Amino acid sequence: MDFDLTPDQSALQSAIDQLLARHKDYPTNEAVHYFPGDAVERDLEAGGYYDIAREEGMGASEAALLIGAVAQLPWCAEVAGTALVAAKLLPAPVPRPVVLARGKADGPLRFLTKNATVLVDCGDEVRVIDASKHQVEPLKTFFAYPFGAFVEPPDLSKAPVVPGVTGAALRQWWQLGLVAEIEANARVAVDMSVEYLKNRRQFNRPIGSFQALQHRVSECVVLIDGMRALLRRAAWSGDPADAALAATHAQEPLTRIIYDTQQFHGAMGITLEHPLHLWTYRLRVLQGELGGVTAQAMDAASLIWGD
Amino acid sequence: MEFAWAPEHEEFRRKIKAAIDRLLPSDWAEKSQYDTSSEYVSKFSRTFCPALAKEGLLIPHWPKELGGGGLDPYHHWVLGEEMIKVGEPRSYQYMNVNWAGPAIIRFGTDEQKQQHISKIVAGTHIWCQGFSEPSAGSDLAAIRTTAERTPNGYVINGSKIWTSGASLADFCFMLARTGTERYGGISVFLVPMKTPGIDVRIIPCLVGERSVHEVFFTNVEVPESARLGDENDGWKVVRAVMHNERVGMPRYALSMRVLDHAVGLLKKKNRFKDAAVRSYAAKTKAALEAARNLMLNIIDDRMKGKAPTATTSVARYALVTGDRWLLGFLNDFMYEEVMSGKDPLINVGYKRTGSTGIGAGSAEIQLNLIARDMLRLPRE
Ligand SMILES: Cc1cc2nc3c(=O)[nH]c(=O)nc-3n(C[C@H](O)[C@H](O)[C@H](O)COP(=O)(O)OP(=O)(O)OC[C@H]3O[C@@H](n4cnc5c(N)ncnc54)[C@H](O)[C@@H]3O)c2cc1C
Repeated sequence: MDFDLTPDQSALQSAIDQLLARHKDYPTNEAVHYFPGDAVERDLEAGGYYDIAREEGMGASEAALLIGAVAQLPWCAEVAGTALVAAKLLPAPVPRPVVLARGKADGPLRFLTKNATVLVDCGDEVRVIDASKHQVEPLKTFFAYPFGAFVEPPDLSKAPVVPGVTGAALRQWWQLGLVAEIEANARVAVDMSVEYLKNRRQFNRPIGSFQALQHRVSECVVLIDGMRALLRRAAWSGDPADAALAATHAQEPLTRIIYDTQQFHGAMGITLEHPLHLWTYRLRVLQGELGGVTAQAMDAASLIWGD
Repeated sequence: MEFAWAPEHEEFRRKIKAAIDRLLPSDWAEKSQYDTSSEYVSKFSRTFCPALAKEGLLIPHWPKELGGGGLDPYHHWVLGEEMIKVGEPRSYQYMNVNWAGPAIIRFGTDEQKQQHISKIVAGTHIWCQGFSEPSAGSDLAAIRTTAERTPNGYVINGSKIWTSGASLADFCFMLARTGTERYGGISVFLVPMKTPGIDVRIIPCLVGERSVHEVFFTNVEVPESARLGDENDGWKVVRAVMHNERVGMPRYALSMRVLDHAVGLLKKKNRFKDAAVRSYAAKTKAALEAARNLMLNIIDDRMKGKAPTATTSVARYALVTGDRWLLGFLNDFMYEEVMSGKDPLINVGYKRTGSTGIGAGSAEIQLNLIARDMLRLPRE
């Protein structure tokens, strides 16, 4: 047992932090639903970070560190699909962004643009859609991710099957990526709340001195630390049951974390001027992705206890 | 990061499990009801602990020069996990080896060590913890029980409450006021429970047979040699004890066993096909697994000699959360078993989850500590 990052992982973490340092700032005078992270993606590509899990001696744990670090940025970049899911399932890199879809791939898809590679969970198998061969339209939503949709739902029976890869395998890495994203986004929302609680004054004192708020924000910390613990274990073990449990534990408390972090900010929390929404409106998306918490829990139950 | 157990820890777990298999009677579940506090279990502990001692499993985590095995904190934790899974057959002797013994070793005189440590190491004596009082719970320093100087020692007056196992114990590790200063007026006393003037009353409760008691002290005379550490320096001892007790017990190990058992029963009743049951079970498991990992992380910090931080409170609160999930699960899907009270595992799971957030620092106190020490939020 050793819960600390390995020296290599710590070094990697520092390198990632250094690379991303210049992306911490964002135009505070722009009221937008999200900031597109093209510049972040270019840096990650140039540095070879998208292939991190394909490198000798590295894998899901390292990809999870990367996903978490990027999710903490105000800019919105696609990482989990490429650096974790595709890296685990496909023998060689594919055009990115890598978009993850289930069933018919006919709804709004996170990060879908015309050059995307779409991996579709078709139950027993996984199929790949080359989005450049289809017409894709961007969707306008108030969530903090770019979304796109196929103008005509693609005919999946014509899409190639990924040899030897099951839908369950896709779900496992998708779940893990989700946990890494949720944990990081939730942590930013909570850190931001803690700062706000310290600085905002009402009744002649910082609102963070009220125990009612202290307890709620502390509970959020417990939940997020729990997510991280399960994330790390699942990334390390590569066990699908661990990934499903981690995803269950990550999606389950999101209503509360989203509600509370917004609530701590009062009316400020519902504005586009205040950056909180950049993270909480990602969390709202992540909460329901891949079928939502019930789907992850059902997966976990089958993997742990069988039928 | 490495989450596999080292071979020596796995081997140690096997050894403990084998000892438990060998030493517990076949009707253990029925007789013990997995109730740490029962008269049966406490009596059993007086033969079980000596047997453990013979196998080097009573104080494996104590230093070798004290007769221990000199094994690391993970060994200690694994021991706790396996014991609690079967209802803690050491009864309250787990307190002896976890904190009372170590405190006596650290703060005791040679005479005190001679008197007490040999008994603890033999596994024949039971200790109780006389800290809480009617007016001093979370605010422990508010104790009022006094120990007044006499020519021969001290005379103790006052009362303790919630004292686990008091009616079964041979000794009490207690706090009393020897001065007026809030922290600087407290001393620790090691008092035989048979001393005249001590009156014990079992408080009927919902957790275990003898989980909680009132202990009254009326002109209880003790010699000066009953005081552990310097006069008025007891808070230092308390802090050291808390340090050892703070993570608490690996309760999740029992809770997880109960959950698995409940799932097994539901499968037999053909109820585990129900999506509501399955998803609730998985959410419960996830919460307990999170608590387990957070607690193991604390032990890892201990292994590395890191000073304890508010992450201990995070782990404790996660455990409370996990046990709340379990309680909800049992309420929702094990109604008949809970009501009939006939299944010892369901019973103990149901009962114990009721008090996870109270002892050894309540859930709210943990949240206070996280807010103050980790998040650095301002005081009210
Ligand atoms: C099963 C069991 C076994 C026990 N065994 C022992 C034992 O062997 N020896 C012993 O000495 N004691 C024992 N205790 C007592 C235990 O340590 C106390 O119950 C605990 O410290 C809480 O004190 P209290 O019960 O007086 O509650 P209180 O301190 O009165 O608390 C009541 C409620 O108020 C909350 N509260 C208190 N202060 C604050 C605050 N500052 N901020 C927010 N909320 C607050 C608490 O969280 C709790 O919810 C045992 C308790 C239990 C349940």
